[in-house]
Amino acid sequence: MALLAHAGDLAGGRSDLPIPEQLFGVAAAVVLIVSFIGLAVLWPTPRLEQGGFRAFPRAVSRVLLSGPAAVIFGAAGVFLLGLVIWSGLTGVQVASANFAPTFVYVVFWLGLVPVSLIFGDVFRAFNPWRAIGRAVAWVASVAARGPLPAPLSYPERVGHWPAVAGIFAFAVLEVVASNGTVPETVAIATLVYSAATFVAMALYGVEAWCDRGEAFGVYFNLFSRISPLTRRGDELGLRRPLSGLSELTAGAGTVPLLAVMIGSVTFDGASEAPVWTAVVPDLNDFMASLGLSPEKALEATFLVGLIGAILLVYGFYRLGIAGARSVGGALSGERLAKVFVVSLVPIALAYVSAHYMTYLIFQGQAISFLASNPLGKDGVDIFGTAGNAIDYSVLGATAVWYWQVALVVVGHVAALTLAHDRALVVYDEPTLAVRSQYWMLTVMVGFTCLALLLLSQSNV
Amino acid sequence: MNPKHRIVLIALSVLVALVAIVLLLPEESSERADEPSVSAGQTGAAPPSRREPQPTSPEADSAPPPPTRIVLAGGEPEDGVQEINVTAGEVVRLVVSSDSPDDIHLHGYDIERDAGPGAPARFRFEADIEGAFEIESHVAEDAGLEPLIANLVVEPG
Repeated sequence: MALLAHAGDLAGGRSDLPIPEQLFGVAAAVVLIVSFIGLAVLWPTPRLEQGGFRAFPRAVSRVLLSGPAAVIFGAAGVFLLGLVIWSGLTGVQVASANFAPTFVYVVFWLGLVPVSLIFGDVFRAFNPWRAIGRAVAWVASVAARGPLPAPLSYPERVGHWPAVAGIFAFAVLEVVASNGTVPETVAIATLVYSAATFVAMALYGVEAWCDRGEAFGVYFNLFSRISPLTRRGDELGLRRPLSGLSELTAGAGTVPLLAVMIGSVTFDGASEAPVWTAVVPDLNDFMASLGLSPEKALEATFLVGLIGAILLVYGFYRLGIAGARSVGGALSGERLAKVFVVSLVPIALAYVSAHYMTYLIFQGQAISFLASNPLGKDGVDIFGTAGNAIDYSVLGATAVWYWQVALVVVGHVAALTLAHDRALVVYDEPTLAVRSQYWMLTVMVGFTCLALLLLSQSNV
Repeated sequence: MNPKHRIVLIALSVLVALVAIVLLLPEESSERADEPSVSAGQTGAAPPSRREPQPTSPEADSAPPPPTRIVLAGGEPEDGVQEINVTAGEVVRLVVSSDSPDDIHLHGYDIERDAGPGAPARFRFEADIEGAFEIESHVAEDAGLEPLIANLVVEPG
């Protein structure tokens, strides 16, 4: 069912061993100590508000941001979108032998996370929907011999909600739908999403929709804000890592978006754990008693689990915010929730990277032979790599454990740093800022321990 | 926050560190103590009781352990899905007998063997890749049934 279990669908391979108890204990202790030291020694004035932008040499920006470069990057994105739809519809309907499922779930969805983290918002340049939208707008303005009518203004109260819906739908396909890795399903879902995106772009304008509503653009943009690489106007350059998150204006739907991001990974991890497998039979019987077929009943059960995990994450965060509000100051809970939500981005990153790191490293190798034979037809070998196999020995279990724990701890520290900096900005009195952080600290430690707990669960 | 607060907090965190280390140390040594008995003794002979410490005699260490046996009836494992626990570097021997022609696939290591009545699938390999791996029946998979017959778990040595 879950993506990790889908490993069997895609190529079947190696799954991670649960982290040993001692490592779990040491990591949890380190998290607590780091948190206390952090409270004691963190800076007294905000530092992440000004990113300290330093531009690269002009030539670099001029080449990478030029019109022809935009066309090349966009065309590459559109080509891959087309390849996913074409191979999904016409290729062999076996998840592990078709280009579409591995490309969408592994190379695109998981692979772009570290890329965004290191190189910044690269997806924006390659975003196929944005590229098509801009191309259509350009053709239309040439045909109309003048500027196009201005799009509707993007409603503030809609905010990130379309992205919430998009990421949730993707999570349903990923961890709930029993046919989520069938190539045809992947292609049809891609087509439906593309159609919805084009309609929304026509209404609200290409850039406005890509910035707020286009789910994948928003998702990768959030992670890219951690990166030191950024673009300011027509210049590329360096900034302080994490400072991009301070510049994020959280609007309607931003908190639910982070809850969906963290909640879906939580559920994917927990869906193999005893806490969940113990309730599955009962819940499943209940669903079956409602008259659902066995397959639909199981899907309904997993849907309930997914929504439950998301609500749990959301509720826990709001609880911490209610606590932070209780320390005083004139800020409403709604405002505080939006102020501190950026600190959940490194947490989300830690969840995603710790859980799917090995999946990306192992299953990602499959793209070398799938790209050479995207449809999975006999005898096709475009690049001569169709005979490649996945090398599961590139990373030992011990190395995996240390990487997973390190990622979780680093995410925790980054979240703590961001929350501290935000508190200094919004509270007039430094003492209130510090007291609000006791609550945020509790939230962070809770999320981090949950992440470690999920990693320590057996998944076989 | 004034310097006094900082000193208190740092002292507190050092205290937490010490408590954590003290709490963790005995746990670690006790785990070490029963670890060999878990891995050396039973290579999956009776998976449900794998957590229980098993006395190991010196003879058991010198003689190679018997191969793990899985018996398939109608494509399904008779004793349920086993978990075969080994330590990296060990030589694993696995015998899968089946009352019908089958094709047994060990994922990750990517070893496939035919099995049939009177001619069990025999696996013998060095467990050199750490992690958890599924062992599946391709005949069950093609028939749309649950293909999983056992899990191989290779712990780091």
